[in-house]
Amino acid sequence: MALLELKNVNAGYGEFRVLFDVSAKVERGQIVAIVGPNGAGKTTTLRTIMGMTTLYSGDIVFNGRSITRMPTHKRVELGLSMVPEGRRVFRTLTVYENLVAGAITKRAWEKLEDTLEMVYNIFPKLKERRNQIAGTLSGGEAQMLAIARALMSRPDVLLLDEPSLGLAPKIVIQIFDVVKKLRDEAEKTILLVEQHVKHSLEIADYAYVLEQGRIVLEGEAQKLMKDERLKKAYLIF
Amino acid sequence: MAKPNKILGIPRRNFYGIIVFALILSTVPALLRFNTYYVYLATDIILIASLVAAWNIIGGYAGQLDLAASAYMALGAVVTGNLLAFYGLTPWLGIPIGVLIALGVAVAVGYPTFRFGIKEVWYALLTAALVVILSRIYWLIYGSTETYLPTYEWSWFYLRFNRYEPFYYMLVVMLAIVLWINYRIRHSKLGYYLNAIREDELAAEALGIDVRRYKLYALMIYATLASIIGGIYVCITGVVGYRNFDPWLGITTAVMGIVGGLGSVEGAVMSGMILRTLEDYLRGTIGSQYPGSHLLVYGIILIVVGVLKPEGLASLIEYVKKRIPWLKS
Repeated sequence: MALLELKNVNAGYGEFRVLFDVSAKVERGQIVAIVGPNGAGKTTTLRTIMGMTTLYSGDIVFNGRSITRMPTHKRVELGLSMVPEGRRVFRTLTVYENLVAGAITKRAWEKLEDTLEMVYNIFPKLKERRNQIAGTLSGGEAQMLAIARALMSRPDVLLLDEPSLGLAPKIVIQIFDVVKKLRDEAEKTILLVEQHVKHSLEIADYAYVLEQGRIVLEGEAQKLMKDERLKKAYLIF
Repeated sequence: MAKPNKILGIPRRNFYGIIVFALILSTVPALLRFNTYYVYLATDIILIASLVAAWNIIGGYAGQLDLAASAYMALGAVVTGNLLAFYGLTPWLGIPIGVLIALGVAVAVGYPTFRFGIKEVWYALLTAALVVILSRIYWLIYGSTETYLPTYEWSWFYLRFNRYEPFYYMLVVMLAIVLWINYRIRHSKLGYYLNAIREDELAAEALGIDVRRYKLYALMIYATLASIIGGIYVCITGVVGYRNFDPWLGITTAVMGIVGGLGSVEGAVMSGMILRTLEDYLRGTIGSQYPGSHLLVYGIILIVVGVLKPEGLASLIEYVKKRIPWLKS
């Protein structure tokens, strides 16, 4: 059974509907990518999973439990964690304080030391800079910090919203390497929203293509890469 | 750096700091030679400093631009005052009742406000409106007449005195308590949550912080402290009326907190004291010759401070700390 499943989800903001009948599955230990143009509803999908939008109908199941009516902080406790678009690190706090702020659920607070060590292993640079004010980090480092902060709550599923946004191509490759490492070494399940279609499909196991709030295409990432329609739409090769 | 689960509680250094500060303040009436008018002004300044320090919890830590300080303060004041004037109930019971009513209003306003995600300028507008609405409601019930509290020469039971020194010392203790609560929050998990909420609410929510609940907690603590201060205030002035709900006071409280540097309670207390002293001084000097001109000068000074020190007076404290090595620890 899938670890995370969306069943016929209709969601949006207040009166403004964004997602139409979206159904998707995320299997444990996979990287699942959601790709699509601007305004397709990718971010809304992630925010709906976190319970930060208005849900009209449909069901969200996580680990065999319906979380449809749960508030956001309860979902984090269950093991979902989101890295918001545009990083949004706490700029006036130090790197260390940012990380501690990520470990606020009871479960994570008790294992703070262990998690911190694990996170510092994945991101050695953050350990070097742990007393630096987060606002002075470079874009790539801030993104690493945002991912690390989300990992501090010890999630099973990590939702990544446009981690490559506004970063230099070299840094983008580093970020994708980290995402891959999270699946292979830290055994996290990852739902990735990206505009870099080619990079995302290369590391993903499964992918959904979202257009105007509807899923228009889905399949194994390797197969999807060869799909003529997708190639044409995104000029990826 | 200390582990956060080990710094739940107030560091010893801050605790002694509060005591020393309170002791220094308690010498002030003697320095003023117990002159009634000067002691009254000193009492007023300590009162405002405590109010700004209480505001720091919602405005500085939680980052909500709350303009309703005078609403919660006035609720404490009118409840305590009316209970004393009409039923002869001692303020020692009146103040707790006032706190309960202020807490009720804070929850009734705060819960839906945070539930529907009203923030930033809209929150400021809503709280500014709250003061006016409460003032009108009070006016509808009691009309425009002001009620005077019974006078006693020297009564600790009714908290009525013919001098201001008792109030001065009560407020110094109150200020110390507000400071202690501020430090206690800053070094607790609640402080961490509020910090994250102020920095970036969406990110804080995505990390699993129950944003609404902790904002409401901050609001409730602040309303409690403000209404206690209001209860003491009404015993000082001895007058209860709809004018207790003063929108201007709500705004100045926020202004003082902002000028002090958001999130720094030392800055808040300092700016509360300096600005209130300045306001009183200007009112006494040029304000008496050209009515209203003291507000003009006051406004200009605020603008100058805003331009020269946008990060607030707290940065001055940091500056001094860096120069004096034994303060660093």
